[in-house]
Amino acid sequence: MPSDESIKTSTGVTTSRRTEPVSAEKAADDAYPTSSKYALELNNVEAFYGTFRAVAGVSLKIAPKSVTAFIGPSGCGKSTLLRVLNRMHETLPGTSVKGQTLLDGVDLYGPKVDPVRARRLVGMVFQKPNPFPTMSIFENVISGLRLGGVRSKSELESVAETSLRKAAIWDEVKDKLHQPGTSLSGGQQQRLCIARTIAVKPEIVLMDEPCSALDPLATLKVEELVRELAVDYTIVIVTHNMQQASRVSDTTAFFSMDEQRAGYLVEMDATSKIFTNPKESLTEGYIAGRFG
Amino acid sequence: MRLSALIATIAAIIPLIALIYFVIVRAIPWLDAELFVNNPLDKPSGISNAIFGSLQLTTAAILAVSPIGVLAAIYLNEYASPRVASWSELVIDVMLGVPSIVVGMFAFMVVVPQLGVSAGSGVVAIGILMLPIVVRTTQEVLRLVPSSVREASLALGVPVWKTVIFVVCRTAFSGILTAVILAYSRGLGETAPLLLTVRGTFAQNWLDFGTTMNALPLTIYSYSGAADSRTLGQAWAAALLLMVLALALNIVVRARTVNSRVA
Repeated sequence: MPSDESIKTSTGVTTSRRTEPVSAEKAADDAYPTSSKYALELNNVEAFYGTFRAVAGVSLKIAPKSVTAFIGPSGCGKSTLLRVLNRMHETLPGTSVKGQTLLDGVDLYGPKVDPVRARRLVGMVFQKPNPFPTMSIFENVISGLRLGGVRSKSELESVAETSLRKAAIWDEVKDKLHQPGTSLSGGQQQRLCIARTIAVKPEIVLMDEPCSALDPLATLKVEELVRELAVDYTIVIVTHNMQQASRVSDTTAFFSMDEQRAGYLVEMDATSKIFTNPKESLTEGYIAGRFG
Repeated sequence: MRLSALIATIAAIIPLIALIYFVIVRAIPWLDAELFVNNPLDKPSGISNAIFGSLQLTTAAILAVSPIGVLAAIYLNEYASPRVASWSELVIDVMLGVPSIVVGMFAFMVVVPQLGVSAGSGVVAIGILMLPIVVRTTQEVLRLVPSSVREASLALGVPVWKTVIFVVCRTAFSGILTAVILAYSRGLGETAPLLLTVRGTFAQNWLDFGTTMNALPLTIYSYSGAADSRTLGQAWAAALLLMVLALALNIVVRARTVNSRVA
């Protein structure tokens, strides 16, 4: 592991961020000599809906315990690629994936890998908060564990509290754990969903535009949370909001669409570099708001 | 235009009101405790054989049919390929439209030779009529469960079968129960298949599905031509009971649908 240091982020939350620009592929290569040191490594990944190629040949590496933002115009395959990372893409009929997706050096799409196990290791938070409508707040948080076979009441209760605390929602819900999850506000529901996701102890947390349905204050809370979670988890976040990408991420990957409407990776670099001095003019144009 | 539409509306409502009025007025004098406790074989003052016969027949049929129907709906909605699903749905829609006398005839020709004229044959006939209602209504309810709920569960690393049972069905549970109640209320009123399979009896039958049983529709059918006022009155009472039961179940269904958390 590289040396970490505690710093104050722009949101005022104390969190750890690596000193090296881990995101720059070259720099990251130096920091992590063996490939298994990456939380995720994609080699020429393609994703299809039927015969339509939504994601074309994406290769990238994601450092552990960092926040990586996927940005780019609508329809450029960011969300599809995110769903490839935890094998949710294949749950839609007619879809397929090509290429190599390595999680800690192991191919997620290997013949022996159970997609259920893959999804346990790579959790996901969706665009719209989606707590289970007939379950209480408590039942929502522990749903993954309980459905995974954990019976012990004390274990479930302690995990529920830890997860809700980590998701920064404990104080708001501790007195009404047995009310329906859907009784919470949108922002609270989304933090509940984050608590539910981290309760099964994944290594990686994917977030698909987690704030797009939330108001600015709720957004701020979720962003703070993302920074805090990066201490323990590797986070990949898809966002349309470039300020958000610049606020929360260490590394930013910019995607665009080719002539066949397939999404591809334009460039990936340290967030500060992408937003101040990107290599590609396409990235610069998008950041400056000239298209997208 | 407006006036003629109003007249048409009144014309549509009058028969309904008249029906309810007649059934209530004619039935009330005969509604007493004896109606529920005596059977015609012991004392002519009751039709307990029909009241409890109906409940037994319909309950047996719903118990047999609900698990099959709910599982079929789960399969069609959660697992089947779109082609299989659409063909099966077509078959089920056709089944929904089959006149009950045809089902009765089928049961008479195919089931009665095996099980005899008996409550058992009646249960099979009513079950055949209830099955497509359970399947179709359950399917509609499962369809109301948002896909985001399924995705949330799958993304937590929950296997598909557990997602279906503990998340999808749990979310739709209230609606599935509604589907079952709806089918029950339809089964209660079925007459034609019972005429051909159970035929009826004056005796009180408790849970012996190997022999014949009575049912409210059968009592209405056989008593409504009677000359003496008591038998005729009991036919009206049977009609009222049937109407109240069906109405009550429909009100339950309505209340449940309105309060449904899945929508």
